[in-house]
Amino acid sequence: MMEILNDLISPIVLGTLLGGLYVVVALGLSLVFGVLKVINVAHGTLVILGSYVAYAVASVWGIDPILWLLLGIPLFFFLGILIEKYLLARAVSKSADAALIIAFGIALIIQNAAQIIWSPQSRSLLTDYSFNSFQIGDIYIPLVYILSFFAALIVMLVVRQFLKKTYMGQAITAASQNKDTAELMGINSKQVYQIAFGIAMAMAAIAGVFYGLTFPFNPVSGNALLIIAFGVVILGGLGSMAGTFIGGIIFGLSQTLGGYFFGPTGQLLVPFLMVLVVLTIRPQGLFGR
Amino acid sequence: MEMTPEVMLQVKDINVFYDKLGVLWDISLDVKKGEIVAIVGSNGAGKSTLLKTISGAIHPKEGSIVFGNQDITKMDPYKIVGLGISQVPEGRHLFPDMTVFENLHIGSYNRDARPHAEENLAKVYKLFPILEERKKQLAKTLSGGQQQMVAIGRGLMANPKLMIIDEMSLGLSPLIVSELFYVLHEIKTQGITILLVEQNVCQTLDEADRAYVLETGHIVMSGNADELMDEEEVKNAYFGE
Repeated sequence: MMEILNDLISPIVLGTLLGGLYVVVALGLSLVFGVLKVINVAHGTLVILGSYVAYAVASVWGIDPILWLLLGIPLFFFLGILIEKYLLARAVSKSADAALIIAFGIALIIQNAAQIIWSPQSRSLLTDYSFNSFQIGDIYIPLVYILSFFAALIVMLVVRQFLKKTYMGQAITAASQNKDTAELMGINSKQVYQIAFGIAMAMAAIAGVFYGLTFPFNPVSGNALLIIAFGVVILGGLGSMAGTFIGGIIFGLSQTLGGYFFGPTGQLLVPFLMVLVVLTIRPQGLFGR
Repeated sequence: MEMTPEVMLQVKDINVFYDKLGVLWDISLDVKKGEIVAIVGSNGAGKSTLLKTISGAIHPKEGSIVFGNQDITKMDPYKIVGLGISQVPEGRHLFPDMTVFENLHIGSYNRDARPHAEENLAKVYKLFPILEERKKQLAKTLSGGQQQMVAIGRGLMANPKLMIIDEMSLGLSPLIVSELFYVLHEIKTQGITILLVEQNVCQTLDEADRAYVLETGHIVMSGNADELMDEEEVKNAYFGE
């Protein structure tokens, strides 16, 4: 009995930490849906774009991926503003379906470009600390898992403070609840859409780096990541940051525990079964409204 | 010689269409500084369309709208708010999952209002003490009357010169409506001009200085509110006498 418990500690710790990474991926998806009402099917691929850009920067200039984020975050933020302004905005004003098709197109273009530039082979972000790990008791925790978990916590705190405490953050919140009334408050909804998408892209840059440090990735890895982000958002409930956090942790936990009990095939089966169960019992998600 | 009060908002000969369907014809009206002006008329007369045109959500095909000395005929809504026209929309339209405080505070989003946010918030809490007590509550948990108070307070937070209030009394008890009208007079004494849009003709004419009667897209009557109330046509149409 004690032995099983001891064995379980490792998947529980790893699952929780992994959940943090999923939270960062899901937050971007959730923010864009909350404000623009568009299911950004390109989000997973934008995260992987973040991995590739960090990979390119590391291989060309030898810059550490995490250090790169100092530049990568503002770069992706502005890239997001440009994508919203020039590709999505007109479609969004027509219908959510039109915007969804555009997002799908963006994903396809990035995936194929990545294939041309970096080949379909898997890549990883390798650093000096990639194979470092902490030993706690009998278990080893890879350093990158801990780093990505802390990054997730920082992202959440910063985004939460921004949304609660700044005029722009409150404008984003207001526009997500009622766009027309937000305009009556003097809020420029076009600008709010751009900034929300920019923030989602900045989060994609962060998620991309930590995903790349944790797992190998290839041009189509974003598709799987998108589905996982969906799962997390559904578990937690749309529009709730606390929900997204809990959803991410549950997803990560059920993935590692599923792997422990049912082998590699159970890894993703279990979390998606959880999603189904939650959808049946609480369609609005655990923290949804 | 008596000084003519300054015209604050001037709507001149506007025609408004939804696609090809005409909704408003030859509408002209003006609001002078310090007045409470009412636009009354039954459901479907075009009151909401007129408001949307003034606030910039839709633009007239012909005619002009001037606020102060600026032409706002084709301006975007958010810019119009910045000039000093705030709107309290029909049905309150609070942000349901934001607190009372957050709803009020977002009212001061426009650049001119931000430096005055604190003093305006103090004014709002003075007008509606209950809102200070409930400032941490989510807007959706308030009663209808309290929600209307938040909506009016939010409009004041924009630091407006002109406040447009759409169907304030809709769905509220007469007692609360009287209370709200009392507050409107308070607001007027603070130097804010008010444009009311109402189906509740009787009480509105009682409270307003001047009024325009809108019927199927035309202004059919206008004048001092108390005079209008005595007009046979108004009596027949709205009071069933």
